[in-house]
Order: sequence, then C-alpha cells, then structure tokens
Amino acid sequence: MLNNDLNLRYRGKSFFNGPFGNFRAEPSAVSQKLHKAIHVLASGKLEDGTYNPFPDYAYTGPIRPVYPLSKTRIVPDHIPRPDYADDGKYQVLSQCAASDVVISGRPLSEVKRSGQPPRILTKEEQDKMRKACRLAREVLDIAASHVRPGITTDEIDEIFAHVSLYFEGYHADLNATYPVGEIDDDAKKLIRTARSCLDESIKICKPGALIRDIGKVIEPIARANGCSTVRTYTGHGINDLFHCSPNVPHYAKNKAVGTMKPGMVFTIEPMINFGSNWDEIHWPDNWTATTVDGKKSAQFEETLLITETGVEVLTAGKPFELP
Amino acid sequence: MDIDSDDEIPTLIEHPTTARTAARVPLTIICGFLGAGKSTLLKRILTERHGYRIAVIMNEFGDTADIESKAVNVSSPDDPAAEESEEILELANGCLCCSIKDSGAAAIEKLMQRKGAFDHILLETTGLADPGPIASIFWHNEEFAAGLGRDIVLDGVVCVVDAFFGTQQMEEDHSGSEDHIGESLKQIAGSDVVLLNKVDLVSPETLATVESLIQRVNPAAPIHRTVRGDVDLAHIMGIKAFSAPPPSLTPVPVPVSAPTPHNHNHGHGDHCDHDHADARDPNHYELRGISSLQVSCPVLSPARFDALDAWIRSVLWENRIPDPSPSSATSTSTDAEGKGETELLVLRCKGLIAMETGERYVLQGVRSMYDMIQVDNDKEGKGQDEDIDIAVSQVGKIVLIGKGLSEDVRRSLINAISGV
Repeated sequence: MLNNDLNLRYRGKSFFNGPFGNFRAEPSAVSQKLHKAIHVLASGKLEDGTYNPFPDYAYTGPIRPVYPLSKTRIVPDHIPRPDYADDGKYQVLSQCAASDVVISGRPLSEVKRSGQPPRILTKEEQDKMRKACRLAREVLDIAASHVRPGITTDEIDEIFAHVSLYFEGYHADLNATYPVGEIDDDAKKLIRTARSCLDESIKICKPGALIRDIGKVIEPIARANGCSTVRTYTGHGINDLFHCSPNVPHYAKNKAVGTMKPGMVFTIEPMINFGSNWDEIHWPDNWTATTVDGKKSAQFEETLLITETGVEVLTAGKPFELP
Repeated sequence: MDIDSDDEIPTLIEHPTTARTAARVPLTIICGFLGAGKSTLLKRILTERHGYRIAVIMNEFGDTADIESKAVNVSSPDDPAAEESEEILELANGCLCCSIKDSGAAAIEKLMQRKGAFDHILLETTGLADPGPIASIFWHNEEFAAGLGRDIVLDGVVCVVDAFFGTQQMEEDHSGSEDHIGESLKQIAGSDVVLLNKVDLVSPETLATVESLIQRVNPAAPIHRTVRGDVDLAHIMGIKAFSAPPPSLTPVPVPVSAPTPHNHNHGHGDHCDHDHADARDPNHYELRGISSLQVSCPVLSPARFDALDAWIRSVLWENRIPDPSPSSATSTSTDAEGKGETELLVLRCKGLIAMETGERYVLQGVRSMYDMIQVDNDKEGKGQDEDIDIAVSQVGKIVLIGKGLSEDVRRSLINAISGV
C-alpha cells in the first residue's frame, strides 16, 4: 500500500524543480531528498513568473535556481515518521554569534548514539532494511524513468536523483546520476567513473575488511580518470538511524575507524568531480551543493549489508548501463 | 604590559589574507582544571605584544566558560559599543577573542573567512571537558583541508594544572561518566604538554609529588612549570604534537633555560624522565584506573609493522587484545572480553616506529582514531612536515595511556612487534 502511495508521490515531473527543503524543513515519511535536483538555466525574473532568488550569488557553473519551488508535501498524520521530523528533536547548536554561520544540528537520536561502534543488525532487522531498500530502489527507478530531454535546457546533460526512504522504522538511502539525452564524452566518462568507483569499492566489502580501505579503492580510480573525490560527503551507517557509525570516507588518506562485520549496514556514495578540484560549496539556499569550479559532478550510492561471506547490495537494481 | 619598548617585537606586516595557499592554521586545545589558571594564561596571550595574530576561542559559551570568560574581562579600545561586540572581541595586539558553542571546525573556518586567517588558534575548553573528543574532531577535520589558507591543523593539547591543588584534584577525581575516569585525569592523559602553574605557591616536595603523578599518568607529555601562566609561547604553540615524534620519545637537547628560583618554563619532562620511566614497571602505579604503558619497539619488518597495526586496531577499535595465537585460538574469542578484568580503553597513544627499510613512522592516537604517518622527509623532500628533526636512534617506542593496561596487554604488544 505504501508502495502505491510512493508511486503516486513521484509521478509527474514537478519534482525536478523541487523540493529544496532539507529534511528538517520537509518532514516526510518518504523523505524524498531530491536535493541537488535539477534547476533550469535561468536568471532574473522570467515571463512565466519564475525567478532566481539569489541573483547576486557568485554561481560557479551555468545552473541557476528557479523559484518558486514546488510546495512542500505534507505527510498525512497516520504515516509514522522518524524523530527528526519534529523540530524539537534536534541538537541545539549555537554559533559564533557575530559570524553568520548557522550550524545545523543533527537529530538528537543520532547525537545520542554518536561515537558508538556500528550496530550489528539482527536477522529481523536485516529483513526490514531489505524491504526499505527495495522500496527505495523502486522509487528511484520510477523517478529515473521520467528523465528525458525537454524538461531541461541544453546546458544540462545529467541529472542527479537521491532517494532516502523510511519504512517500518528503518532507513534506506541510494542515489544515482542519469544522462539526459545525448551527453558529451567527458560527461560519459565522469558518470562511468563514479559508478566504477562505487562498484569497485563494494567488491572489497566483507567481514574483516577495513572501512578506511574503501577510500583507498575509490580515489585512485577517480584520479586515473582525471577526476577527484569529494571529501565533505561520506558514506554512513544506516539502520533505525538515518546517519550513524561507521563514517565511510571516499578519499584515500583517512583515519576511519572500524572493521566490517556481518550484520553491519552502511552506504558508500562517492561523489566524483570532473577535474582535480574536490571542494564543493553551497548556494545560499543552504542545500544545493555545487563544485567550486562549476565543473560537472556525478554520484552513485548504494546501501550495503555485510553478510557472513561478503556483501549484499540491499538497494541493488538492474545492472548499470553505461551512458 | 610592562615590556620594555626596545624589546618589543615589531608588529608583523599583515599577511594572513594573502597567505600562501598551502598554509594551515595550527590550533591548540587548552584544557585544565577549574581554577588552574587557564584564564590567566589566555589573558596574558590576549594582551601581551607577542606579534602573533592569535584567535582565542572559548568553547561552550554560556556554559561554564561563560563564567570564566568574564574573568578574562578584556575590553577592546576600538569597540565602544560593548553591546554590539556580541561574543567577539578584537584586541589591540591583533588577537581576537570569541566564544563559540559548537566544537566543530566549520564555525572557526567561517570566522577566518570573515576576519582573515590567524597565525594560531587557541581553543579553550571548559574546566570539565575531556579534550579527547574535541581533539578527534579537529584531527579528523584535517582530512577536509581545502588549501584555501584557512585550513585548521591540530597542533596539540595543552593542560593547565594547579601545582597547589593538582595532586588532590587528581586523587579525588570522581566522575559520573560511563568509563568512570575522572575528567582531570582524562585531561592529563589526553595532553601533549602540561603547564604546571602556580609553582611559586608550593613547596619543592609538593611540586615533586604532583610532577611525578602527572608523569606517571602521562609519560609522553613534557611538563613546564609556570607562575601566573607565564610561559614561552613556543612551548605551547607550534609543537606539532600530531605530526612530529613526541618529544619524550626522542633524544632531547640540553634544556634552553636552567631552573631559576621561579622555575619559569622549566622543561622538566624533556630531559630527565624519559629513560627511567621505562625501567619502572609501568603498571606499578595506577591512579583511579588510569595508567600508562611504555614499550620499546625494535626495528620492524613490514610483516611486524602489519602485526602492530592489527594489534592497534584491535585495542583501539575493539577494546581488546587480539586472540593470543592460532594454536590457542580454539578457545572462544569471548574469553578475552568476558574475563571480568578492567575494560581496556586507550585514551591516547603515541609512538615512534623504525622500519628495517629505513622509514620511520609516528603513531598518534586519540581514543579510537589513530594514524601512522611516515616522517622521513629528508630523502625525498615530500614528507609531512618540513622541520621534523629526529635524532637517529635505532629503537622506537610506543606509549599507551588509558585504562586496563595490564601485564597481559604489555605482553601481547611485545609479542605483536617481536613476532613471538
């Protein structure tokens, strides 16, 4: 039933220009973080009533936000939601008051368990994760099936979609980058590299493998293809908490703590930038991340379960087709 | 301050905004028991003309530090509207004082974006804080260095201890924390340098007692005796505790200053305790569950190096020593955990490891996070740090500070590195 609900939720193309709200502003049992979604190239006010809310911002690439955003969808009360859906359940952080920094808090539930070793899930919990992850994959595939030229301008040749799903108390997380129409060779290479970084790093996952070695697989692949690995986003443990230990860096020189053990669930989600600059910055919406040099970026993510003998990709879909 | 004007260090030409892109701003965490003299030390730094642009960040404003920041009570001459100053004070000597609640690096980096990079950042924790988690945050954050000249590099942790009350504070330290380790002991255990303050107020016997107590808890940290926080800033800033070999693990040059009646800046731990501390049974003394363990490390083969790494992973990540050997591994691994012995918990580890192949590695660990970085830079000139100066010594050393560091742990470590 919820599955059908999801299908409805994601039908139609309106999701391509929103929502921008992060998951605090947009509490949703189906936390459809289609963030970093696609934005039509535009600036200034247009005849159709859309506008760029930050006209003075020094954009690093050709993409501009198009407001107004689609309305935040309200989740009906009968759908259980994670605790971070309530504003009150956030860590309260203040900031250096004279600076303009807003440090966004994390859900209290995540804060409470931070620093704890990764949780080993029971068989029952693993089944719930499996179910949530399968649903999330379905949502992403449906979204992807709507990707086609015409909904964007010529300047855009790839779109990024990210689905985070909360089902029966467990979270799933996955994302992918899709080509839109014909794309150039660089964009193809970038998307292939990002996918290959993820696939190769999944191959080393098994009991006894070290979390810190994941980035040692990813970064050399990125470099060999003239790309760089974004450092500020990492993979993460995921279970009844959306983000928890282990922390999974995608870069080689890291001090990540932890050995993989059966029953552990985490994501790997390397974000790969074209060129050597891995840094990213945020638009004033505090949500949209772009590369500092405006170059293209691609990302893939899967949620993984470490099994007794190896690894199970809980969010697995059809084999990736090279663009 | 009452410094002769002839001796004043000339004001440096402001360079931070045009800083070399590779420059990173060192950050020192200053912890210390309540009343030990942290505020006095910081007031000194904020008002003296030392020529550095230092940002003093008071962590957890509005909490304990609120009270302490009032004691600092520094007013800025060009800031008549105190109301508007909020929590930032910019001082005549170019320093800046700011309170901050978040312990992360983002807020400080943002502050530098607004105010220009600093020469150094001093982060003061509350009197009750364990510096370990905060140090981990900044150490981890180094991985995100963007090369923009305002990247923060963790320089070290300095603990200010009251020479008069220190012994009592350590011995009576009770803690409600889960690991039952008192905060004052965590502060000493987690420090790279200890400032023993108010040494003018105590007898030589008291001083000796408190110093030996500190050394037994943390044999790797040099102790500097101070009066009213008067310390050569070189002892607490730019110490590179997280990239250079620990001073007490390397042959140490003759101390710069001989002890004076006031014992200012007497680098005690530097020159007289690193050897006989090793001769003593490291487990002989244990203060409220905290002890330290030192092991000499022979020159390692790559295989032994891997064995050491596996040992460290087990101890730091799983809080247990690895299963003894394949032959006795038939007994279940739960044995190691279920013995009812004190739980193994390493708060801090340091080491210098020499390889057969000639490389040297520095081991650094804060709680479960650790790193072994190669420090031999002289050959290819691509080392981590340009001015690491290790005197040649064939033998390395490993120091662990924490809980449950029993003779079993010691034996297990020796087995790992010697291949027995």
